Amino acid sequence: MLKCTFCGRRAAYNRRYAGVLLCDRCLIKSVEKRFRRAIAEHKLLSPGERVAVAVSGGKDSIAAMHLLVEHCGRKNCELVAITIDEGIKGYRDQSLPIARENAKSLGIEHYVVSFKRTFGATLDQMVRRANARKTELNPCTYCGVMRRSLLNQAARELGADKLATAHNLDDEVQAIMLNYVRADFSRLHRLGPSYPPREGFVPRIKPLREIPEKEVALYALLRGLEVHLAVCPYTGGIHTEIRDFLNRIEANHPNSKFMILRMFDRLKPQLARIVPEFEMRRCKNCGEPTSANICKSCELLKELGLRRLRKTLISPKSS
Amino acid sequence: MTCIKIVVKQVGKRHKRELRLAPHATIADLLRKLDQNRETIVVRRNGKIVVEEERLSDGDLIEILPIVTGG
Repeated sequence: MLKCTFCGRRAAYNRRYAGVLLCDRCLIKSVEKRFRRAIAEHKLLSPGERVAVAVSGGKDSIAAMHLLVEHCGRKNCELVAITIDEGIKGYRDQSLPIARENAKSLGIEHYVVSFKRTFGATLDQMVRRANARKTELNPCTYCGVMRRSLLNQAARELGADKLATAHNLDDEVQAIMLNYVRADFSRLHRLGPSYPPREGFVPRIKPLREIPEKEVALYALLRGLEVHLAVCPYTGGIHTEIRDFLNRIEANHPNSKFMILRMFDRLKPQLARIVPEFEMRRCKNCGEPTSANICKSCELLKELGLRRLRKTLISPKSS
Repeated sequence: MTCIKIVVKQVGKRHKRELRLAPHATIADLLRKLDQNRETIVVRRNGKIVVEEERLSDGDLIEILPIVTGG
């Protein structure tokens, strides 16, 4: 039996990048400490703020919600949860009840915003339309763009001061690499522990950004949290290739993911010099903030022969 | 003993598999054999989450839980 470096109990995790073994209790304590440190170091939350947390029902968002509820209790912040139901059969319909049950058990108000009610089509239906129209965009493009937009709008309508997402170290490093591969300076520049306030946008915060995906999963499992662990049926494409590449590198060279993150964080201030500032406008269709005349969500909907059906997302019935 | 016999259950797959490994094999050896990256899974040995460097014993039930779920 291998023992925890700190307390001598049975080890549950080999944190190879730090050269230590952790038992269940020490891993839980360590994840909670890193979460609190991220909030303090990057000033992610202030006392008395209203925080909306995006919750899918997966391990990351459920862990984030449990960590945030404890933090908010101490700092007198108010927490509400938002789930975007994209309409992915056999996937989101299974995770949604888990998100709802967790929010209920923690006594958090929970709001659900669906693609179907907002856009008149589920993601599954959009993918079928996209295939029929040969748009050559993958499902993650529709899902990512529209989910981000709805989360921001829902958080704004709920009067949130911050929108917390459960992006972990792996998610952030994958996004860094993806933007390198695409030479997308603008998106690269937007990555970081928080996203500064701009008109129409609720500032986003990522308190799990420096916690590896495996540690978030272990935290949820070792705490016995109810989480949804199925794989999204639309997983694939370049995102998956980059994820697999990074996991191979990390397995052979522990600490690589942290090194990529540290390198990016040091480079980020320099990016401001080459990324042009853009004027924030309002989408002519839906009124959401955008850098163009029409926002990306409305543009994608138009390509699919769809349009936005509801301007306001949050009604008393959403909770 | 020339080899040990273990049972592997990969969560999300229907069937359990019985495998024979060298007497001092570790969970990490098993993962290499199954072409599983340790970054993407959590391993339970006889119901307990353990580190991949633990040695396997004859009759162990190993559950492999995939943790990478997103797109």
